[in-house]
Amino acid sequence: MNPVAAFINEETSVKQASIRRAKEKALKRLATVFAGVFVLALSALPVHAQKKVVGLSLASDTNPFYIVMRNGVEARAKELGWEVRVVTANEDVNKQVNGVLDLVAQKVDGILISPIDAVATGAAYEAAHKANIPIISIARGAKSAYQTLFVAMDSVQIGRDVAAWAAQTARGKGKVGMIAGPAGANVFEELAQGFKEQMAKNKDMPIVFEHHVALTREQGLKQAEDLLVAHPDVRVIYAGNDELALGAAQAVAAAGKKSGVLITGLNGIPPALASVTKGDMDLTVVLSPMVWGRLGVDVMANWMKGERPKQHVFIKHILATKENAAKYMPPKQK
Amino acid sequence: MAQGRETTSPYSRLLRNQVPLLALVAVCVITAVLSDRFLSPVNLNNILLQACVMSVIAMGMTFVIISGGFDLSVGSTVALSGTVATWVMLETHWSVGVTAGIAAGALVGYINGLIVARLRVNPFITTLGSMVVVRGIVLLITDGRPIVGDEGLPDTFLELGRARLFGVHLLVWLPLVLFAVFGWLLHMTAYGKRIFATGGNRDAAFLAGIDVERMTASAYAWCGALAGVAGVMLAARLQSGQPTVGEFYELTAIAAVVLGGASLRGGDGQLYKSMIGVFIMVVLANSLNLLNVHSYWQRVAIGLVIIAAAAADQIKSRNT
Repeated sequence: MNPVAAFINEETSVKQASIRRAKEKALKRLATVFAGVFVLALSALPVHAQKKVVGLSLASDTNPFYIVMRNGVEARAKELGWEVRVVTANEDVNKQVNGVLDLVAQKVDGILISPIDAVATGAAYEAAHKANIPIISIARGAKSAYQTLFVAMDSVQIGRDVAAWAAQTARGKGKVGMIAGPAGANVFEELAQGFKEQMAKNKDMPIVFEHHVALTREQGLKQAEDLLVAHPDVRVIYAGNDELALGAAQAVAAAGKKSGVLITGLNGIPPALASVTKGDMDLTVVLSPMVWGRLGVDVMANWMKGERPKQHVFIKHILATKENAAKYMPPKQK
Repeated sequence: MAQGRETTSPYSRLLRNQVPLLALVAVCVITAVLSDRFLSPVNLNNILLQACVMSVIAMGMTFVIISGGFDLSVGSTVALSGTVATWVMLETHWSVGVTAGIAAGALVGYINGLIVARLRVNPFITTLGSMVVVRGIVLLITDGRPIVGDEGLPDTFLELGRARLFGVHLLVWLPLVLFAVFGWLLHMTAYGKRIFATGGNRDAAFLAGIDVERMTASAYAWCGALAGVAGVMLAARLQSGQPTVGEFYELTAIAAVVLGGASLRGGDGQLYKSMIGVFIMVVLANSLNLLNVHSYWQRVAIGLVIIAAAAADQIKSRNT
């Protein structure tokens, strides 16, 4: 049965008996570990049934945004009696492509994906298309011609709305700094583009700083620190997402300029909503990943029923400020 | 290796020498029983495609580990060669780009080798440093953005990532060719024997008249060049030069080589077994996905396998 055990039985030498015994023990322990892993695999074995199976390919399984999105997908799928199979990429594009290939090999009925990169995931979309599996992007889109649909946020419009709010709140005056999201991702380019378009209508609000960085709190902090040194009189800090905004808020607070600077984020994650309520951040855009996940499943269900919407399906967005942010805090969850 | 003093039967010696292969077969059999999709042509093709980049990196890593070294910089080198290749080919011709990418990888490897061999800096620290330096250079030349070109990369290059020969991707054939070449170099030439000797006992090799410094440097150079090839392959597959790819690839490659039975103390290992190690890692990941195992549990499982491999290495060395 077990090859390792089999060859232990073959051992006959007496000379090195003690060494061998120690080795046997260790090998048996190894075998136990292997067995444990496979029992784990077994326990996760799905029940075969006629229900629909959708694959979900996430960019990461540790980012709260994707964790909640996954919850949304799983919750909605459960209501429909569907099964969800999740593959994750840990922010590695190659791993994401491989994961989608694994879903295709399982002949799932549909694939929901939040691509890490618009171009690099092309092979994944192509594989799904070849296998006649609809592949719908959520939150981030792909440039592939084989993308079935894109459940998107109206990025350009959101960028404009944020700029309009900031200009209004600052009464049309003051320098603007931008800490935008990574340049490779369409969403963040469009957000920044919408923001700049709208901001350009305000003559007294020049954009004096623009950097495209990874979406981490650390980057928000660092960039904002540099921004505050270069332009101590900055009035508005636009941040590509809430993590960046929270980092920027930290830098602004440390510089003692809390009241004079408007900080805007995006996503409406709970820490950001709390920060807006407290007055550290000034605006976030609520795009609940929970709603996003649920919408993704619904769009997939409609597609399977034969509905053929245009390329994009937009999710609603809400501007959350000090007055209303508390309302969007999710009920306590695990 | 089981040699000399051992009085075991040839049958058990064969079993012992082929533990990695048996582990691979075991994973395959168990997955095939649990998932009817595992042996489907689509999935088998997927596995080959998923293994192709890592197998090339692991070939280079095998050279370095057998020579008694260690290379943490291959992940960053993969990103470097992919971005250099795509960047250069947008300015010139796809073939110039590919050459430049591989050359960039070889250069990184050669510099690593010189520092380790001539300055006698610990390989772990040297390559840890170059891992960070190279990643920084990648971010500098790309400005942190993926390189895709305004009208996309040259079609010929993109075709390299898509095209098939006899139903199998070109990206899968390439490692096969490299395997034949480097297997010959490592196991059938005098040069290969010197690499083994350098890793097995550096002082003895030196006294035997082997230029151990040159051997060490050359092993790192091969490792860098092969990581360069892997980076170009990955860029073809991802249809872009991605500055952030390759993170943690060095760890997967080292794990695969050790899973294949090479000793981290040097002087021991076989190229085909490293390839088996790669397949264990790839098939395991594929299998856990097919069986729909939760992603958090997947990490636990893969980590345990790596520890198991290191433990097996330890037990083996205690015996000889």
